Amino acid sequence: MISLRNVSLTYQNGVRALDNVSLEVSKGDFLFLVGHSGTGKSSLLRLLYREQVPSSGEITVDGIHVDRIKRSRVPALRRHLGVVFQDFKLLSDKTVWENVAFAMQVTGAHTKDVMRQVPRALDLVGLAHKSRMYPGELSGGEQQRTAIARAIVNNPKILLCDEPTGNLDPSNTTEIMELLLRINVKGTTVIVATHNQAVVDRMRRRVVRLEDGKIVTDEERGYYYLGLGQGQILSG
Amino acid sequence: MKNEATTILDSGKVKFFLGEVLRNFTRNAGMQATAIGTVAMTIVLLGAFLFIRQTLGGLGNELLSQVEFSIYFSDDATTAQEDAVRASLTHDPRVASTQFVPKKEGLAQLAQETQGSIDTNALLTENPLPDKLRVQAKDPAQVAALAAAARSMPGVGTVLYQQELIARLITFVDVMRRVGIGLIAVFLVVACIIISNTIRLTVFARRREISIMQLVGATNMYIRAPFVCEGLIAGILGSLAAVLVLAAVRVTLWPNLLASLPFLQLNNAPVDMPLLVAELIAAGSVIGVLASWISVGRHLRA
Repeated sequence: MISLRNVSLTYQNGVRALDNVSLEVSKGDFLFLVGHSGTGKSSLLRLLYREQVPSSGEITVDGIHVDRIKRSRVPALRRHLGVVFQDFKLLSDKTVWENVAFAMQVTGAHTKDVMRQVPRALDLVGLAHKSRMYPGELSGGEQQRTAIARAIVNNPKILLCDEPTGNLDPSNTTEIMELLLRINVKGTTVIVATHNQAVVDRMRRRVVRLEDGKIVTDEERGYYYLGLGQGQILSG
Repeated sequence: MKNEATTILDSGKVKFFLGEVLRNFTRNAGMQATAIGTVAMTIVLLGAFLFIRQTLGGLGNELLSQVEFSIYFSDDATTAQEDAVRASLTHDPRVASTQFVPKKEGLAQLAQETQGSIDTNALLTENPLPDKLRVQAKDPAQVAALAAAARSMPGVGTVLYQQELIARLITFVDVMRRVGIGLIAVFLVVACIIISNTIRLTVFARRREISIMQLVGATNMYIRAPFVCEGLIAGILGSLAAVLVLAAVRVTLWPNLLASLPFLQLNNAPVDMPLLVAELIAAGSVIGVLASWISVGRHLRA
């Protein structure tokens, strides 16, 4: 589903965000990207939805060669991806319903499909009863659920989440993670970049750890800190 | 991967699109007003220039096509001298025709032209008019040479022709045209810059919306469309305002101007008003669309 081969990313200011990263993600995976701030988690996600182009290496997402697609093909790529951010990125002058529908409408979706899929997405995130409210009237957790509904309304095969619980309290965090899990169970590949240790340790999912732009570990049922599950001690 | 973008319209899509345009237009009313005002000022200048140019151009053409001039003989000219002048001009290959108007006939014509408002018999004890020879040249460009030749012939008093006026007018129109084109070009560029900056502000105010649109896979064309539509609306509204201003000037100031310049038959100059209005509105629309296209484009490339 997602494959990175020897991917490096150096920003124009000379900062090396990713250094020779290789990663394979299968369909239906649920994967945590962990690591300190500035270790390249967000950069890696940005490469996947082609907000950034790698300096070298190959990236394929759902069969698309993301590193060398034309600019005009980027919209088509993004319709196969859902992206969720720490700051929700909702439009404050649109209602919950409009925010979710917006993602379909701006891609020229038929009204019939919009009317069918938006309620479905809102149902899944449990916000059908608040569809007429504005983001400012919602809690942080509800805002993030709205953002997730927007991300999945086009039925993407992949959902990318960049610190989705960064602004949320523990109970909202749990809610959001359960929601992401539900989405994953329905067959969507989910990648979550986070530095929320509690979430990672409780979920026991695949954990890919980045340090200084390199993947240092990749565990099948990992913890936030390296090797806790296997009783290994981190050295160096 | 199949392209899901489709051109099939349904009422929901149209409603959404128009809603977005209207919403953005009203939300940034101040900036839109600036853009509309700039378009209006530019179009007023452009319209005034085009109108003056058409008027003067028409007038110039009319005067330029005149081939007739008149030779007035001096009072002491003999019949032989008059016949000689007439014969010489009649045989000149540049001359199409001549018509001799004796002083008696000239007075009768004058009486007829004034339609009896002047009683020539009561007013005058003797005929003050000179004998006149009307000459039609074949080519307007040869009038000056013919007139100059006639002037040096014996018995000729004065030669009247509009060539001098024409020459001045031609120079004037030419200068006007050059200065005008330069000015208009400058104004159009300035207008484009101001409008595109104004629209850039509205684009900047909506960068969040644009980034979300890009994120969920809206095509650049789709993101651009509402902005270009706004630019078009601003351009049309601005040029309509300009047309109203110009129409007001035409109705109020223009007659006064004509009254103060009676020797120029400006009123007769043909100006195609519907065409002029259409041109102005087209120019305003082009400015609006171009400016918004450019300013959104800058943002999309980033």
